[in-house]
Amino acid sequence: MASTAVHKVTPTRLIRWRQTRLGLLFISPWVIGFCVFYLYPFFATLYYSFTTFTGIGNPVFKGLANYSGLLHDATFRTALFNTFYYTIIEVPFSTAAALGLALLLNMNVRGQAVYRTLFYIPSIVPVVASSLIFVWIFQPSFGIVNSLLSDVHINGPAWFFSIPWSKPTFILLGLWGLGQPMVIYLAALQGVPKEMYEVALLEGAGPWQRLRKVTIPMISPIILFNVILSLVLSIQYFTQAQVIESPSGSPGSSTMFYVTYYYQQAFTDLHLGYASAMAFLLFILVLIITVVLLKTSRRWVYYENEQR
Amino acid sequence: MWSGNTLTLLSQMVNKFNATHPKIHVTESNIPSATGDAKLLSEIAAGDPPDVFTEWNPVLGEYAADGTIQSMAPYLTGTYSGVEKWLYPIALQGGEYGGTLYALPMGMNSWALYYNKSMLKAAGISSPPTTLAQLYADQAKEWKISGGKLKQIGFYPSYNQGMEYFDSFFGAVNCFDSSGKYDLTSCPGAQAEAKFLASYDSYPYSLVAAMATAYGGVAGGDDDPFVAGKEGFAMDGPWEGAQNIPVTNSAMVGNFGVVPFPNTVGGPSTFGQGNYNIIPKGAAHPQQALEFIAWLAGYNNESFMTSLYPKGGWMPTSPAGAAAPAFQAWLKANPWLNVFIEQMSSPLSVTPKLTPTESEFFTAEATASENIAERSDSWQQALTYIDQQANSGAGG
Repeated sequence: MASTAVHKVTPTRLIRWRQTRLGLLFISPWVIGFCVFYLYPFFATLYYSFTTFTGIGNPVFKGLANYSGLLHDATFRTALFNTFYYTIIEVPFSTAAALGLALLLNMNVRGQAVYRTLFYIPSIVPVVASSLIFVWIFQPSFGIVNSLLSDVHINGPAWFFSIPWSKPTFILLGLWGLGQPMVIYLAALQGVPKEMYEVALLEGAGPWQRLRKVTIPMISPIILFNVILSLVLSIQYFTQAQVIESPSGSPGSSTMFYVTYYYQQAFTDLHLGYASAMAFLLFILVLIITVVLLKTSRRWVYYENEQR
Repeated sequence: MWSGNTLTLLSQMVNKFNATHPKIHVTESNIPSATGDAKLLSEIAAGDPPDVFTEWNPVLGEYAADGTIQSMAPYLTGTYSGVEKWLYPIALQGGEYGGTLYALPMGMNSWALYYNKSMLKAAGISSPPTTLAQLYADQAKEWKISGGKLKQIGFYPSYNQGMEYFDSFFGAVNCFDSSGKYDLTSCPGAQAEAKFLASYDSYPYSLVAAMATAYGGVAGGDDDPFVAGKEGFAMDGPWEGAQNIPVTNSAMVGNFGVVPFPNTVGGPSTFGQGNYNIIPKGAAHPQQALEFIAWLAGYNNESFMTSLYPKGGWMPTSPAGAAAPAFQAWLKANPWLNVFIEQMSSPLSVTPKLTPTESEFFTAEATASENIAERSDSWQQALTYIDQQANSGAGG
């Protein structure tokens, strides 16, 4: 006589399965969105980077030709250089400025809320609008900056329109958007326990030592977060340069940034395969920089609850 | 792709067409120009393209070569068999690829030299220049720079139009070698043109570019130093006098004149260019699309279309359009426009041949003229750069 094994489903397992099913159902919009709008484009970009493709018809497989083409592309090298130049100067500069501003705004002064609002407002102005305003501010012949400089007998440069000055001017323009990281630093500063400052004072620490030994270590995870964010945004720098400079990358290719060149290849010249190779390289680049930063962060980032 | 006044005109055209063609209904869709091509390509790839798309002609060669757009030849029958002969030769050239018609313009551009009358008088010049040497000498008297600040420009050839817009004045359109590749390096016309651009490199290009950007930025491109009354001479199209000046700076109305741009080709010449309408691959109603496109070009519709040209500052696409009463009335009221219309039928006016890499060629010419102005390239290096970029542009 044949016997049949019967698996009895216990109520606990049933409940657990129902909960899992419900959980999956709840997160399914995000999962579907992630797969359709991130995962698929990611792998499609990787595939197209090995092809010639104009957006119409079938992509033609070319192997590594797009990648080797990038190695021999002088404009690509210029774009890479300009992007690194901007990033290497802009990230420390803006980090120091945002942190400095947050420290000042964290001081107990009269009208503190007004100052905080004033310094945050610029970051909510649309980037295109602020870029056009800065074209006028830095206008060499009738802009306010050069007018002020001429008051002290200095002939100001042509700023956005001068080869040596164009990138530094974009770095200055970057200060306009400091409100966002500043608010994050401000929140972090307010989370530093007051007792630590009291102990430091009792130990005889001066303002500089309190900043170095208490404030910076305590907010170092936030600094790391902001630096990574700032790095990624700097490497992908595009809108301001695209709005201000015509033709793209001018004067003399000095503002041809990585994404500006990518945009030109993809949407002006319709070299979607070549642009895909650029996009994938950019992803690798950002990934490497982020991993290196995270690995080295163990030396300078302090996590209060971390067991070492 | 359009905004402001031009968008209003296009809506008028569509409404008129729908009112006069009960069997066809056109629905207009306005797409920002920065994303227009990407949207078109996506729609074609998805199998749901529009029946008609307005396109900037330099990209037509690439689209025709890879089958993105349809040849109009199968639909040029019956009433429409005469369209090609009806067009100005330069209007036809801008829509042909490999001897086949792929696009029809709905209005043409033409380029000439604008001059500021009061500045000319203040500089003690009795009449506008007729040679390149005179232009250089005259404009030199009009520059005003003090303390490192630019107050007034005489003339600067390439700050708002790249090298390509000057090609026809030097016989530098369609410089190809025997294998069909771009060859500006050994083209005498291109050499003369590049030398002409380089002759202005002693003037402060960075200050000129900054002034042009500042004016362009505040008025969405309708303003520029000439419109603002801060430039003695400018090479521009009819819309500058017909639209930009009256709309942006009415003080300049009556204070400008137009003459043919001095050239080395020995007669009236202009660079042919325009906004062309195309039928994308996979369009559901190609025959009706052609009917609409031909109507927009003014074919059998000269009176209505040319009545709108004064508002857009456009030139007609055909001699029949130029002869239409509405257009003639506009010419009579604005005699300075005659320069533009005379150039349209000149055998020396040329439209660049459509090639699969014409878009890259244009980008390269714009960059090269800027490099000459910035002195980062010699004129010889600039021509080599154009050839390299234009001939290697079909990658990826």
